[in-house]
Amino acid sequence: MALDPWDLALRDALLPTTELLTLDELAARTELPPTLLEVVVREGFLKPARHEPEILFDPADVEPIRSGMELVESGLPLGELLDLARQMDAAMRPIAEQSIEIFSRFVRDSVEVTSESDAEAAERLVRAFSTMLPAAGTMVEHHFRALLLEGAKRRLQVDR
Amino acid sequence: MTADQLDPAEILARHPRVWWASPTITLAGFGSLAIFDPGTGDGRFERARAVSAPVTFASFTFDGEAPGSLVIVPELVVEVADGETTLHGDPSLMPPAPVPVPPEHDRPRFAGSSLPDHLWLEAIGSILEMIERREVEKVVLARDHALWSKQRFDPHRILARLSDRFPDCFRFLIEGLVGASPELLIRKTALAIESVTLAGTTARGLTNEDDEILGKEMLSDPKALTEHRLAAAPVGAILRSIASDLSHPASPELMRLANVQHLATPFSGHLDSDEHVLDLVARLHPTPAVGGVPTAAAEAIIKDLEAMDRNRYAGPVGYFRANGDGEIAIALRCAELSGARARLFAGNGIVEGSIPEDELEETRLKLTAMLSALE
Repeated sequence: MALDPWDLALRDALLPTTELLTLDELAARTELPPTLLEVVVREGFLKPARHEPEILFDPADVEPIRSGMELVESGLPLGELLDLARQMDAAMRPIAEQSIEIFSRFVRDSVEVTSESDAEAAERLVRAFSTMLPAAGTMVEHHFRALLLEGAKRRLQVDR
Repeated sequence: MTADQLDPAEILARHPRVWWASPTITLAGFGSLAIFDPGTGDGRFERARAVSAPVTFASFTFDGEAPGSLVIVPELVVEVADGETTLHGDPSLMPPAPVPVPPEHDRPRFAGSSLPDHLWLEAIGSILEMIERREVEKVVLARDHALWSKQRFDPHRILARLSDRFPDCFRFLIEGLVGASPELLIRKTALAIESVTLAGTTARGLTNEDDEILGKEMLSDPKALTEHRLAAAPVGAILRSIASDLSHPASPELMRLANVQHLATPFSGHLDSDEHVLDLVARLHPTPAVGGVPTAAAEAIIKDLEAMDRNRYAGPVGYFRANGDGEIAIALRCAELSGARARLFAGNGIVEGSIPEDELEETRLKLTAMLSALE
């Protein structure tokens, strides 16, 4: 079944807008060996933006990878980081699914029924998504940061 | 001389200098009549067995060219076996009562690894390339965690915790090396010999059903079976050359420990002509379960890529008697203690089909299990 015009617009908005990178190019940008990046891909923490005809990555992946390496270079063993990432993936996945469900039910369905035209529905849907995606990211980051700080303060009291 | 039956836990509470315990025997050594490094090279096992004492404890470096092996003859050895307690030496040297345990205990704190995890992963990548080029079939790559604490690590406390968690393993304390190893290198009683090769590891499940599923998966996993075959076959060949009635199961069995499950092949037989247990060790060490296949190439790669000295980790550890009988394990799942510092070790066999991040995770779990004994 063909997608509705507003869903087509949203799908296009989800596609990366910049030129994608091969694994070797990503390795050069992040200054990491390809073998290590392959580990991160196999573990599912780095998801290719395209699989066919070759595996390509979004340049937006460069900064998170560099951040991960900053954690490692600051003393966190990679094995522990991978374990944390696995746990975080398992914990976040159902929340992400529920978020998509909520977006679909309360924003997408509403836009569809309250717009005057397909073009307006498409424009409103893409705008809503473009606003909500970074907002959701900021909320999650802020909450996790607050949890980290709260936990760290508690730990300092215990270890005093 | 025989003595009143003593409970091993009570003996351990008297803080013996050396300790060896397996499911069938407990040996505690107090004081020291002699302690020496038997040196390096092929002759180190022969020099170690030059002592003649009722019970002698020994721990050897993995690398035959590295110094640091130790042989120790205690002044008094308390032996508990078959429901009897026997004293070898002067009974008055036995501390009269348990030594009080210091109430203060600090936690272990991470101080780094000889090779950071991401470089260890790259080393596995290099080994896999060598395996692909058929330069080597198997290499056991180990890594370490250095720890520190605000107070000295208490080896007897660690040993007691290991004994609680791993009662079926070989628990040992020999001059700062403390551990609980599942792997019997060789046991010799008169002409009877036994050895167990372990290679191939999977996790424990949360339930018995999970355990069964994971165990069955490993028993049919080509990568685990290859790793095991490469480790067990050379041991079997060596033992068969000196014990023509050697027997072993046709396929590996499951050995279930508190934290992991292993593929195991137990060997047993009788020597065609008598040999000292340390002569048997000289024939077997290093087995492919801690070195690789072929041995010389694997050892060279280990030296090149591990970026650390294994010291006594993965070396032979155990005891022997004046008549040449004894029980020697491979020092796995262990820590080297030095006051308030410690080093933990863990290693994995890398074969064709190994996945670097899985090997990293497996060694992380092994290190975590040992770390919990120090907490």
